[in-house]
Amino acid sequence: MNARAVGVAAALLVVYVGVPLAFGGAPYVMSLVIASLTIAGIAVAWSLLGNLGGLVSFGHAAFFGVGAYTSALLTMGAGWPVLLGLLAGGLGASLASLLTMPALRLRGPYFALAMLAYAHIFKILTVEAEPVTGGAGGLLSIPGFPTILGLPLASKTGAYALILTIVIASCLAYAGLRRSRIGLALRAMHDSELATRIVGVPSTRLKAAMLAVSAFITGVVGAFNAHQIGFLEPDYAFSGNWTLLPIAAAIFGGYRTVWGPPLGAVAIYLLDQLVFKEFVPSGHGLIYGVLLGGMILLSPGGLLPLLRRWSPFRKASPGATVAHAGR
Amino acid sequence: MLAVEDVSVSFGGIRALRGVSFTVTAGETLGLVGPNGAGKTTLFNVISGVQAPSGGRIVFDGRPLAREPDWRRARRGIGRTFQIPQPMHELTVRENLIVAQSFGAGRRDPARIDAILALLGLSPKADRDASTSLSLTEQKALEVAKALATEPRLLLLDEVLGGLETTTKRAFAGTLAEVRERYGLTLIVIEHDIETITNLCPRALVLDFGELIADGPPREVFRDPAVMRSYTGEAAA
Repeated sequence: MNARAVGVAAALLVVYVGVPLAFGGAPYVMSLVIASLTIAGIAVAWSLLGNLGGLVSFGHAAFFGVGAYTSALLTMGAGWPVLLGLLAGGLGASLASLLTMPALRLRGPYFALAMLAYAHIFKILTVEAEPVTGGAGGLLSIPGFPTILGLPLASKTGAYALILTIVIASCLAYAGLRRSRIGLALRAMHDSELATRIVGVPSTRLKAAMLAVSAFITGVVGAFNAHQIGFLEPDYAFSGNWTLLPIAAAIFGGYRTVWGPPLGAVAIYLLDQLVFKEFVPSGHGLIYGVLLGGMILLSPGGLLPLLRRWSPFRKASPGATVAHAGR
Repeated sequence: MLAVEDVSVSFGGIRALRGVSFTVTAGETLGLVGPNGAGKTTLFNVISGVQAPSGGRIVFDGRPLAREPDWRRARRGIGRTFQIPQPMHELTVRENLIVAQSFGAGRRDPARIDAILALLGLSPKADRDASTSLSLTEQKALEVAKALATEPRLLLLDEVLGGLETTTKRAFAGTLAEVRERYGLTLIVIEHDIETITNLCPRALVLDFGELIADGPPREVFRDPAVMRSYTGEAAA
Protein backbone atom coordinates (compact mmCIF):
# COMPACT_ATOMS: atom_id res chain seq x y z
CA MET A 1 0.00 0.00 0.00
CA ASN A 2 1.56 3.31 -0.99
CA ALA A 3 1.75 6.44 1.16
CA ARG A 4 -1.16 8.08 -0.64
CA ALA A 5 -3.48 5.11 0.01
CA VAL A 6 -2.45 5.06 3.68
CA GLY A 7 -3.17 8.78 3.91
CA VAL A 8 -6.60 8.41 2.32
CA ALA A 9 -7.47 5.45 4.59
CA ALA A 10 -6.37 7.40 7.66
CA ALA A 11 -8.38 10.45 6.61
CA LEU A 12 -11.50 8.32 6.00
CA LEU A 13 -11.05 6.66 9.39
CA VAL A 14 -10.79 10.05 11.06
CA VAL A 15 -13.84 11.55 9.37
CA TYR A 16 -16.10 8.48 9.56
CA VAL A 17 -15.09 7.19 13.00
CA GLY A 18 -13.06 9.87 14.73
CA VAL A 19 -15.60 12.67 14.43
CA PRO A 20 -18.54 10.65 15.85
CA LEU A 21 -16.30 9.31 18.64
CA ALA A 22 -15.14 12.81 19.51
CA PHE A 23 -18.45 14.64 19.26
CA GLY A 24 -21.09 11.89 19.47
CA GLY A 25 -21.90 12.97 23.01
CA ALA A 26 -22.46 16.56 21.92
CA PRO A 27 -25.60 16.59 19.76
CA TYR A 28 -25.37 20.34 19.21
CA VAL A 29 -21.88 20.07 17.78
CA MET A 30 -22.91 17.11 15.62
CA SER A 31 -25.87 19.15 14.34
CA LEU A 32 -23.48 21.92 13.35
CA VAL A 33 -21.15 19.46 11.65
CA ILE A 34 -24.10 18.02 9.68
CA ALA A 35 -25.21 21.54 8.72
CA SER A 36 -21.68 22.39 7.59
CA LEU A 37 -21.59 19.26 5.43
CA THR A 38 -24.98 20.18 3.96
CA ILE A 39 -23.48 23.49 2.88
CA ALA A 40 -20.38 21.59 1.74
CA GLY A 41 -22.46 19.46 -0.62
CA ILE A 42 -23.95 22.53 -2.29
CA ALA A 43 -20.52 24.19 -2.37
CA VAL A 44 -19.13 21.20 -4.29
CA ALA A 45 -22.04 21.36 -6.75
CA TRP A 46 -21.66 25.12 -7.19
CA SER A 47 -17.91 24.83 -7.77
CA LEU A 48 -18.41 22.02 -10.26
CA LEU A 49 -20.68 24.25 -12.30
CA GLY A 50 -18.24 27.15 -12.07
CA ASN A 51 -15.08 25.19 -12.83
CA LEU A 52 -16.35 22.77 -15.41
CA GLY A 53 -19.33 24.64 -16.83
CA GLY A 54 -17.76 28.08 -16.50
CA LEU A 55 -21.01 29.35 -15.02
CA VAL A 56 -21.51 31.35 -11.84
CA SER A 57 -24.93 30.70 -10.36
CA PHE A 58 -26.77 32.75 -7.76
CA GLY A 59 -29.71 30.37 -7.87
CA HIS A 60 -28.68 27.02 -6.43
CA ALA A 61 -31.38 27.46 -3.80
CA ALA A 62 -33.78 26.54 -6.62
CA PHE A 63 -32.25 23.07 -6.98
CA PHE A 64 -31.97 22.63 -3.22
CA GLY A 65 -35.67 23.44 -2.80
CA VAL A 66 -36.84 21.34 -5.74
CA GLY A 67 -34.80 18.36 -4.49
CA ALA A 68 -36.19 18.76 -0.99
CA TYR A 69 -39.81 18.99 -2.11
CA THR A 70 -39.50 16.20 -4.69
CA SER A 71 -38.20 13.72 -2.16
CA ALA A 72 -40.58 14.84 0.59
CA LEU A 73 -43.64 14.57 -1.66
CA LEU A 74 -42.67 11.19 -3.12
CA THR A 75 -41.97 9.65 0.29
CA MET A 76 -45.05 11.19 1.92
CA GLY A 77 -47.53 10.85 -0.93
CA ALA A 78 -46.36 7.83 -2.88
CA GLY A 79 -44.67 5.94 -0.10
CA TRP A 80 -41.26 5.83 -1.75
CA PRO A 81 -38.37 4.65 0.43
CA VAL A 82 -36.47 7.64 1.77
CA LEU A 83 -33.10 6.69 0.29
CA LEU A 84 -34.73 6.32 -3.12
CA GLY A 85 -36.36 9.68 -2.45
CA LEU A 86 -32.91 11.25 -2.13
CA LEU A 87 -32.02 10.10 -5.65
CA ALA A 88 -35.43 11.24 -6.88
CA GLY A 89 -34.72 14.64 -5.31
CA GLY A 90 -31.53 14.82 -7.34
CA LEU A 91 -33.32 13.80 -10.52
CA GLY A 92 -36.10 16.31 -9.81
CA ALA A 93 -33.54 19.07 -9.50
CA SER A 94 -31.86 17.93 -12.72
CA LEU A 95 -35.23 18.09 -14.47
CA ALA A 96 -35.78 21.55 -13.01
CA SER A 97 -32.41 22.55 -14.46
CA LEU A 98 -33.85 21.82 -17.91
CA LEU A 99 -36.24 24.72 -17.34
CA THR A 100 -33.28 26.99 -16.70
CA MET A 101 -31.55 26.04 -19.96
CA PRO A 102 -32.61 29.25 -21.75
CA ALA A 103 -30.35 31.06 -19.27
CA LEU A 104 -27.35 29.27 -20.82
CA ARG A 105 -27.52 31.80 -23.62
CA LEU A 106 -26.51 34.41 -21.07
CA ARG A 107 -23.00 35.04 -19.82
CA GLY A 108 -21.36 36.26 -16.63
CA PRO A 109 -23.52 38.28 -14.26
CA TYR A 110 -26.57 37.97 -16.53
CA PHE A 111 -26.58 34.18 -16.11
CA ALA A 112 -26.03 34.53 -12.37
CA LEU A 113 -28.98 36.92 -12.01
CA ALA A 114 -31.21 34.80 -14.25
CA MET A 115 -30.57 31.85 -11.94
CA LEU A 116 -31.47 34.02 -8.97
CA ALA A 117 -34.75 34.79 -10.72
CA TYR A 118 -35.37 31.09 -11.36
CA ALA A 119 -34.95 30.35 -7.65
CA HIS A 120 -37.58 32.97 -6.90
CA ILE A 121 -39.91 31.58 -9.57
CA PHE A 122 -39.63 28.04 -8.18
CA LYS A 123 -40.41 29.38 -4.72
CA ILE A 124 -43.51 31.18 -5.98
CA LEU A 125 -44.66 28.07 -7.86
CA THR A 126 -44.24 26.02 -4.69
CA VAL A 127 -46.33 28.50 -2.70
CA GLU A 128 -49.04 28.59 -5.36
CA ALA A 129 -49.23 24.81 -5.82
CA GLU A 130 -50.79 24.52 -2.38
CA PRO A 131 -52.82 21.32 -2.97
CA VAL A 132 -49.58 19.48 -3.75
CA THR A 133 -46.92 21.30 -1.74
CA GLY A 134 -48.90 22.58 1.19
CA GLY A 135 -48.35 26.15 0.01
CA ALA A 136 -46.78 28.70 2.32
CA GLY A 137 -47.60 26.48 5.28
CA GLY A 138 -45.25 23.83 3.94
CA LEU A 139 -45.00 20.14 4.74
CA LEU A 140 -44.80 18.56 8.18
CA SER A 141 -43.91 15.06 9.33
CA ILE A 142 -41.61 14.27 6.45
CA PRO A 143 -40.34 10.70 6.98
CA GLY A 144 -36.93 10.36 8.57
CA PHE A 145 -34.07 8.16 7.49
CA PRO A 146 -34.24 4.36 7.91
CA THR A 147 -31.80 2.10 9.72
CA ILE A 148 -29.18 0.53 7.46
CA LEU A 149 -26.93 -2.33 8.62
CA GLY A 150 -27.83 -1.58 12.20
CA LEU A 151 -26.96 2.12 11.93
CA PRO A 152 -29.99 4.37 12.46
CA LEU A 153 -29.45 7.06 9.83
CA ALA A 154 -31.99 9.20 11.65
CA SER A 155 -29.53 9.56 14.56
CA LYS A 156 -26.93 12.34 14.54
CA THR A 157 -24.17 9.84 13.84
CA GLY A 158 -26.18 8.16 11.08
CA ALA A 159 -27.13 11.44 9.42
CA TYR A 160 -23.52 12.55 9.67
CA ALA A 161 -22.32 9.38 7.94
CA LEU A 162 -24.96 9.79 5.22
CA ILE A 163 -24.25 13.44 4.37
CA LEU A 164 -20.51 12.79 4.59
CA THR A 165 -20.93 9.96 2.06
CA ILE A 166 -22.96 12.24 -0.22
CA VAL A 167 -20.26 14.93 -0.07
CA ILE A 168 -17.37 12.51 -0.64
CA ALA A 169 -19.21 10.76 -3.50
CA SER A 170 -19.91 14.16 -5.07
CA CYS A 171 -16.25 15.16 -4.79
CA LEU A 172 -15.10 11.86 -6.31
CA ALA A 173 -17.57 12.23 -9.18
CA TYR A 174 -16.39 15.82 -9.68
CA ALA A 175 -12.73 14.76 -9.64
CA GLY A 176 -13.40 11.94 -12.10
CA LEU A 177 -15.31 14.24 -14.41
CA ARG A 178 -12.55 16.82 -14.22
CA ARG A 179 -9.89 14.29 -15.18
CA SER A 180 -11.92 12.93 -18.11
CA ARG A 181 -11.69 14.15 -21.70
CA ILE A 182 -14.99 15.93 -21.18
CA GLY A 183 -13.40 17.64 -18.19
CA LEU A 184 -10.43 18.70 -20.32
CA ALA A 185 -12.76 20.22 -22.91
CA LEU A 186 -14.83 21.94 -20.25
CA ARG A 187 -11.79 23.49 -18.61
CA ALA A 188 -10.56 24.63 -21.99
CA MET A 189 -13.89 26.26 -22.78
CA HIS A 190 -13.63 28.95 -20.13
CA ASP A 191 -11.19 31.24 -21.86
CA SER A 192 -11.73 30.19 -25.45
CA GLU A 193 -15.10 28.64 -26.13
CA LEU A 194 -14.74 29.25 -29.87
CA ALA A 195 -11.43 27.37 -29.88
CA THR A 196 -13.16 24.33 -28.45
CA ARG A 197 -16.28 24.52 -30.60
CA ILE A 198 -14.19 24.67 -33.75
CA VAL A 199 -12.60 21.31 -32.93
CA GLY A 200 -15.96 19.64 -32.40
CA VAL A 201 -16.80 20.35 -28.76
CA PRO A 202 -20.55 20.97 -28.33
CA SER A 203 -19.95 23.58 -25.66
CA THR A 204 -23.55 24.53 -24.93
CA ARG A 205 -24.55 20.89 -24.49
CA LEU A 206 -21.66 20.27 -22.15
CA LYS A 207 -22.55 23.33 -20.09
CA ALA A 208 -26.14 22.11 -19.91
CA ALA A 209 -24.91 18.71 -18.75
CA MET A 210 -22.79 20.32 -16.02
CA LEU A 211 -25.78 22.36 -14.91
CA ALA A 212 -27.81 19.14 -14.66
CA VAL A 213 -25.05 17.36 -12.69
CA SER A 214 -24.65 20.33 -10.36
CA ALA A 215 -28.43 20.49 -9.88
CA PHE A 216 -28.51 16.74 -9.15
CA ILE A 217 -25.97 17.01 -6.34
CA THR A 218 -27.74 20.05 -4.89
CA GLY A 219 -31.09 18.30 -5.15
CA VAL A 220 -29.81 15.24 -3.28
CA VAL A 221 -28.45 17.52 -0.54
CA GLY A 222 -31.79 19.36 -0.40
CA ALA A 223 -33.62 16.04 -0.09
CA PHE A 224 -31.24 14.95 2.67
CA ASN A 225 -31.97 18.15 4.55
CA ALA A 226 -35.74 17.72 4.22
CA HIS A 227 -35.67 14.23 5.72
CA GLN A 228 -33.21 15.22 8.39
CA ILE A 229 -35.21 18.13 9.78
CA GLY A 230 -38.65 16.64 9.02
CA PHE A 231 -40.42 19.74 7.71
CA LEU A 232 -40.33 22.08 4.74
CA GLU A 233 -41.67 25.48 3.84
CA PRO A 234 -40.91 27.50 0.71
CA ASP A 235 -39.14 30.35 2.51
CA TYR A 236 -36.78 27.84 4.07
CA ALA A 237 -36.29 25.46 1.14
CA PHE A 238 -35.64 28.22 -1.40
CA SER A 239 -33.81 30.56 0.99
CA GLY A 240 -30.98 32.57 -0.49
CA ASN A 241 -28.77 31.18 2.27
CA TRP A 242 -28.59 27.91 0.33
CA THR A 243 -26.86 29.87 -2.39
CA LEU A 244 -24.81 32.48 -0.52
CA LEU A 245 -23.30 30.31 2.23
CA PRO A 246 -21.99 27.67 -0.22
CA ILE A 247 -20.53 30.37 -2.47
CA ALA A 248 -18.72 31.96 0.48
CA ALA A 249 -17.56 28.53 1.66
CA ALA A 250 -16.34 27.53 -1.81
CA ILE A 251 -14.38 30.75 -2.25
CA PHE A 252 -12.95 30.48 1.26
CA GLY A 253 -11.88 26.88 0.72
CA GLY A 254 -10.63 27.26 -2.85
CA TYR A 255 -13.29 27.03 -5.49
CA ARG A 256 -10.83 26.04 -8.23
CA THR A 257 -10.06 22.83 -6.36
CA VAL A 258 -12.23 19.76 -5.77
CA TRP A 259 -11.73 19.38 -2.03
CA GLY A 260 -11.40 23.07 -1.16
CA PRO A 261 -15.15 23.88 -1.14
CA PRO A 262 -16.12 21.18 1.40
CA LEU A 263 -13.08 22.04 3.50
CA GLY A 264 -14.07 25.70 3.36
CA ALA A 265 -17.68 24.95 4.27
CA VAL A 266 -16.76 22.93 7.34
CA ALA A 267 -14.04 25.37 8.44
CA ILE A 268 -15.91 28.61 8.01
CA TYR A 269 -19.30 27.36 9.26
CA LEU A 270 -17.93 25.71 12.37
CA LEU A 271 -15.66 28.67 13.12
CA ASP A 272 -18.63 30.99 12.79
CA GLN A 273 -21.01 28.92 14.90
CA LEU A 274 -18.64 27.62 17.55
CA VAL A 275 -16.16 30.46 17.92
CA PHE A 276 -17.33 33.79 16.49
CA LYS A 277 -20.89 33.35 17.70
CA GLU A 278 -19.59 32.49 21.17
CA PHE A 279 -17.70 35.76 21.50
CA VAL A 280 -19.95 38.01 19.42
CA PRO A 281 -23.48 36.59 19.78
CA SER A 282 -25.01 39.26 17.56
CA GLY A 283 -23.08 40.47 14.56
CA HIS A 284 -20.78 37.45 14.31
CA GLY A 285 -21.47 37.48 10.58
CA LEU A 286 -19.22 40.53 10.44
CA ILE A 287 -16.22 38.44 11.51
CA TYR A 288 -17.27 35.82 8.98
CA GLY A 289 -17.14 38.49 6.28
CA VAL A 290 -13.78 39.83 7.45
CA LEU A 291 -12.38 36.29 7.45
CA LEU A 292 -13.58 35.71 3.90
CA GLY A 293 -12.15 39.05 2.75
CA GLY A 294 -8.87 38.28 4.50
CA MET A 295 -8.63 34.91 2.79
CA ILE A 296 -9.22 36.46 -0.62
CA LEU A 297 -6.44 38.96 0.03
CA LEU A 298 -4.02 36.45 1.57
CA SER A 299 -4.68 33.58 -0.82
CA PRO A 300 -7.01 34.31 -3.73
CA GLY A 301 -7.00 30.59 -4.50
CA GLY A 302 -8.50 29.85 -1.08
CA LEU A 303 -7.68 27.79 1.99
CA LEU A 304 -6.70 24.50 0.35
CA PRO A 305 -4.06 26.00 -1.96
CA LEU A 306 -2.78 27.95 1.05
CA LEU A 307 -2.45 24.76 3.11
CA ARG A 308 -0.72 23.06 0.18
CA ARG A 309 1.78 25.91 -0.02
CA TRP A 310 2.48 25.65 3.69
CA SER A 311 2.55 21.88 3.76
CA PRO A 312 5.99 20.34 4.47
CA PHE A 313 4.95 17.39 2.24
CA ARG A 314 4.08 19.47 -0.82
CA LYS A 315 5.42 18.42 -4.19
CA ALA A 316 7.51 20.88 -6.16
CA SER A 317 5.41 22.10 -9.08
CA PRO A 318 7.32 24.64 -11.15
CA GLY A 319 5.08 26.83 -13.16
CA ALA A 320 1.96 25.76 -11.31
CA THR A 321 -0.72 28.38 -11.22
CA VAL A 322 -3.94 28.83 -9.33
CA ALA A 323 -5.69 27.55 -12.42
CA HIS A 324 -3.95 24.21 -12.06
CA ALA A 325 -4.39 23.88 -8.35
CA GLY A 326 -7.22 21.40 -8.59
CA ARG A 327 -5.55 18.96 -10.89
CA MET B 1 -16.27 18.56 -52.14
CA LEU B 2 -17.22 22.16 -51.27
CA ALA B 3 -19.60 24.49 -53.02
CA VAL B 4 -20.00 28.11 -51.91
CA GLU B 5 -23.20 29.30 -53.56
CA ASP B 6 -24.07 33.00 -53.77
CA VAL B 7 -22.97 33.65 -50.18
CA SER B 8 -23.55 37.11 -48.74
CA VAL B 9 -22.88 38.46 -45.26
CA SER B 10 -24.00 41.83 -43.93
CA PHE B 11 -23.03 43.47 -40.65
CA GLY B 12 -25.60 46.21 -40.28
CA GLY B 13 -25.10 48.37 -43.36
CA ILE B 14 -21.74 46.84 -44.24
CA ARG B 15 -21.73 44.03 -46.77
CA ALA B 16 -18.75 41.86 -45.92
CA LEU B 17 -19.49 39.29 -48.65
CA ARG B 18 -21.52 39.89 -51.82
CA GLY B 19 -22.82 36.85 -53.68
CA VAL B 20 -19.61 34.84 -53.54
CA SER B 21 -19.70 31.53 -55.44
CA PHE B 22 -17.03 28.93 -56.18
CA THR B 23 -16.41 25.22 -55.88
CA VAL B 24 -13.49 23.22 -54.54
CA THR B 25 -12.78 19.66 -55.59
CA ALA B 26 -11.25 17.05 -53.30
CA GLY B 27 -7.46 17.26 -53.11
CA GLU B 28 -7.27 20.85 -54.37
CA THR B 29 -5.17 23.53 -52.69
CA LEU B 30 -6.73 26.92 -53.07
CA GLY B 31 -5.22 30.27 -52.16
CA LEU B 32 -7.59 32.96 -50.93
CA VAL B 33 -6.16 36.46 -51.21
CA GLY B 34 -7.30 40.04 -51.10
CA PRO B 35 -6.60 43.29 -49.28
CA ASN B 36 -7.40 43.70 -45.60
CA GLY B 37 -11.15 43.83 -45.06
CA ALA B 38 -11.89 42.01 -48.32
CA GLY B 39 -13.97 39.36 -46.52
CA LYS B 40 -11.53 36.43 -46.48
CA THR B 41 -11.89 35.55 -42.81
CA THR B 42 -15.64 36.19 -42.98
CA LEU B 43 -15.81 33.59 -45.74
CA PHE B 44 -13.92 31.11 -43.54
CA ASN B 45 -16.32 31.92 -40.72
CA VAL B 46 -19.28 31.14 -42.94
CA ILE B 47 -17.81 27.86 -44.21
CA SER B 48 -16.86 26.72 -40.70
CA GLY B 49 -20.18 27.76 -39.18
CA VAL B 50 -18.86 30.51 -36.93
CA GLN B 51 -20.88 33.09 -38.88
CA ALA B 52 -24.32 32.56 -40.42
CA PRO B 53 -24.62 33.95 -43.96
CA SER B 54 -27.25 36.58 -44.76
CA GLY B 55 -27.85 34.80 -48.04
CA GLY B 56 -26.66 31.85 -50.10
CA ARG B 57 -25.54 28.47 -48.85
CA ILE B 58 -22.57 26.18 -48.24
CA VAL B 59 -22.69 22.62 -49.59
CA PHE B 60 -20.16 20.12 -48.27
CA ASP B 61 -19.98 16.60 -49.69
CA GLY B 62 -23.24 17.25 -51.53
CA ARG B 63 -25.10 18.24 -48.37
CA PRO B 64 -26.17 21.80 -47.45
CA LEU B 65 -24.71 22.92 -44.11
CA ALA B 66 -27.27 25.60 -43.31
CA ARG B 67 -28.32 24.21 -39.93
CA GLU B 68 -25.07 22.61 -38.91
CA PRO B 69 -23.42 24.39 -35.95
CA ASP B 70 -19.66 24.98 -36.01
CA TRP B 71 -18.84 22.01 -33.78
CA ARG B 72 -20.79 19.60 -35.98
CA ARG B 73 -19.07 20.91 -39.13
CA ALA B 74 -15.75 20.13 -37.44
CA ARG B 75 -16.96 16.57 -36.88
CA ARG B 76 -18.03 16.33 -40.52
CA GLY B 77 -14.50 17.09 -41.68
CA ILE B 78 -14.10 20.87 -41.88
CA GLY B 79 -11.08 21.96 -39.88
CA ARG B 80 -9.80 25.50 -39.53
CA THR B 81 -7.22 27.70 -37.88
CA PHE B 82 -7.52 31.27 -36.67
CA GLN B 83 -5.44 34.25 -37.68
CA ILE B 84 -4.85 35.00 -34.00
CA PRO B 85 -3.94 31.64 -32.44
CA GLN B 86 -6.57 30.30 -30.09
CA PRO B 87 -4.87 27.75 -27.86
CA MET B 88 -7.09 26.05 -25.32
CA HIS B 89 -5.96 27.67 -22.12
CA GLU B 90 -5.33 25.63 -18.98
CA LEU B 91 -4.31 22.65 -21.13
CA THR B 92 -0.96 21.36 -22.33
CA VAL B 93 -0.13 21.18 -26.02
CA ARG B 94 -0.87 17.45 -26.08
CA GLU B 95 -4.15 17.92 -24.19
CA ASN B 96 -5.20 20.45 -26.82
CA LEU B 97 -4.83 17.72 -29.42
CA ILE B 98 -6.50 15.10 -27.23
CA VAL B 99 -9.60 17.29 -26.91
CA ALA B 100 -9.61 18.00 -30.65
CA GLN B 101 -9.26 14.32 -31.51
CA SER B 102 -11.75 13.07 -28.93
CA PHE B 103 -14.49 15.44 -30.01
CA GLY B 104 -13.63 16.25 -33.62
CA ALA B 105 -12.70 12.76 -34.78
CA GLY B 106 -14.64 10.89 -32.09
CA ARG B 107 -11.84 8.46 -31.36
CA ARG B 108 -8.62 8.06 -29.42
CA ASP B 109 -5.42 7.54 -31.35
CA PRO B 110 -2.35 8.58 -29.34
CA ALA B 111 -0.05 7.47 -32.19
CA ARG B 112 -1.66 9.95 -34.58
CA ILE B 113 -1.31 12.71 -31.99
CA ASP B 114 2.39 11.89 -31.58
CA ALA B 115 2.81 11.91 -35.36
CA ILE B 116 1.12 15.31 -35.68
CA LEU B 117 3.24 16.76 -32.87
CA ALA B 118 6.40 15.47 -34.53
CA LEU B 119 5.41 16.69 -37.99
CA LEU B 120 4.78 20.21 -36.71
CA GLY B 121 7.84 20.31 -34.47
CA LEU B 122 5.84 20.43 -31.26
CA SER B 123 7.07 17.21 -29.64
CA PRO B 124 9.53 18.98 -27.30
CA LYS B 125 6.69 21.20 -26.00
CA ALA B 126 4.02 18.49 -25.93
CA ASP B 127 3.57 18.55 -22.19
CA ARG B 128 4.06 22.26 -21.68
CA ASP B 129 1.31 24.78 -21.04
CA ALA B 130 -0.21 25.77 -24.39
CA SER B 131 -1.02 29.33 -23.47
CA THR B 132 2.27 30.49 -21.99
CA SER B 133 5.18 28.41 -23.23
CA LEU B 134 4.97 28.66 -27.02
CA SER B 135 6.62 31.04 -29.48
CA LEU B 136 4.49 32.60 -32.23
CA THR B 137 5.63 29.95 -34.71
CA GLU B 138 4.74 27.21 -32.24
CA GLN B 139 1.37 28.78 -31.57
CA LYS B 140 0.69 28.78 -35.30
CA ALA B 141 1.85 25.16 -35.48
CA LEU B 142 -0.51 24.29 -32.63
CA GLU B 143 -3.38 25.83 -34.58
CA VAL B 144 -2.65 23.49 -37.47
CA ALA B 145 -2.04 20.54 -35.14
CA LYS B 146 -5.40 20.97 -33.40
CA ALA B 147 -7.20 21.11 -36.71
CA LEU B 148 -5.34 18.01 -37.94
CA ALA B 149 -6.28 16.11 -34.78
CA THR B 150 -9.95 16.44 -35.74
CA GLU B 151 -9.09 14.43 -38.89
CA PRO B 152 -10.45 16.97 -41.36
CA ARG B 153 -10.81 16.45 -45.09
CA LEU B 154 -11.05 20.18 -45.79
CA LEU B 155 -8.65 22.43 -43.88
CA LEU B 156 -9.05 26.21 -43.81
CA LEU B 157 -5.79 27.96 -42.91
CA ASP B 158 -6.27 31.61 -41.94
CA GLU B 159 -2.97 33.46 -42.28
CA VAL B 160 -1.17 30.66 -40.52
CA LEU B 161 2.11 32.03 -41.91
CA GLY B 162 1.32 35.64 -41.03
CA GLY B 163 3.82 37.41 -38.79
CA LEU B 164 6.58 34.85 -39.37
CA GLU B 165 9.97 35.92 -40.70
CA THR B 166 10.89 34.82 -44.21
CA THR B 167 13.03 31.75 -43.43
CA THR B 168 10.57 30.42 -40.92
CA LYS B 169 7.71 31.12 -43.29
CA ARG B 170 9.34 29.09 -46.09
CA ALA B 171 10.03 26.19 -43.76
CA PHE B 172 6.47 26.30 -42.42
CA ALA B 173 5.06 26.40 -45.95
CA GLY B 174 7.08 23.25 -46.68
CA THR B 175 5.59 21.63 -43.60
CA LEU B 176 2.09 22.54 -44.79
CA ALA B 177 2.79 20.89 -48.13
CA GLU B 178 3.93 17.78 -46.28
CA VAL B 179 0.80 17.88 -44.10
CA ARG B 180 -1.34 18.08 -47.22
CA GLU B 181 0.37 15.08 -48.81
CA ARG B 182 0.48 12.91 -45.71
CA TYR B 183 -3.15 13.38 -44.75
CA GLY B 184 -4.62 13.76 -48.23
CA LEU B 185 -6.18 17.12 -47.43
CA THR B 186 -8.04 19.70 -49.41
CA LEU B 187 -6.69 23.11 -48.40
CA ILE B 188 -7.94 26.67 -48.61
CA VAL B 189 -5.17 29.04 -47.56
CA ILE B 190 -5.57 32.72 -46.70
CA GLU B 191 -2.20 34.36 -47.18
CA HIS B 192 -0.88 37.79 -48.16
CA ASP B 193 2.50 36.56 -49.33
CA ILE B 194 2.39 36.13 -53.12
CA GLU B 195 5.42 33.81 -53.20
CA THR B 196 3.80 31.45 -50.71
CA ILE B 197 0.52 31.38 -52.59
CA THR B 198 2.29 30.83 -55.89
CA ASN B 199 4.40 27.97 -54.55
CA LEU B 200 1.73 26.26 -52.50
CA CYS B 201 -1.49 26.78 -54.43
CA PRO B 202 -2.23 25.82 -58.07
CA ARG B 203 -5.33 28.02 -57.89
CA ALA B 204 -6.09 31.35 -56.24
CA LEU B 205 -9.27 33.31 -55.55
CA VAL B 206 -9.20 37.05 -55.00
CA LEU B 207 -11.76 38.87 -52.88
CA ASP B 208 -12.16 42.63 -52.88
CA PHE B 209 -14.80 44.47 -50.85
CA GLY B 210 -16.62 41.17 -50.39
CA GLU B 211 -16.73 40.33 -54.10
CA LEU B 212 -14.92 37.54 -55.87
CA ILE B 213 -12.96 39.37 -58.57
CA ALA B 214 -10.60 36.67 -59.85
CA ASP B 215 -10.25 32.88 -59.90
CA GLY B 216 -7.38 31.03 -61.59
CA PRO B 217 -3.70 30.08 -61.44
CA PRO B 218 -1.84 32.48 -59.10
CA ARG B 219 0.60 33.76 -61.74
CA GLU B 220 -2.32 34.78 -63.97
CA VAL B 221 -4.47 36.09 -61.14
CA PHE B 222 -1.77 38.38 -59.78
CA ARG B 223 -1.32 39.92 -63.26
CA ASP B 224 -5.05 40.63 -63.54
CA PRO B 225 -5.55 44.44 -63.71
CA ALA B 226 -8.57 44.26 -61.41
CA VAL B 227 -6.52 42.43 -58.78
CA MET B 228 -3.66 44.91 -59.11
CA ARG B 229 -6.11 47.80 -58.71
CA SER B 230 -7.61 46.21 -55.59
CA TYR B 231 -4.19 46.10 -53.97
CA THR B 232 -3.26 49.64 -54.97
CA GLY B 233 -6.62 50.93 -53.76
CA GLU B 234 -7.73 52.28 -57.10
CA ALA B 235 -10.84 50.10 -57.08
CA ALA B 236 -12.16 51.97 -54.08
CA ALA B 237 -11.66 55.34 -55.64
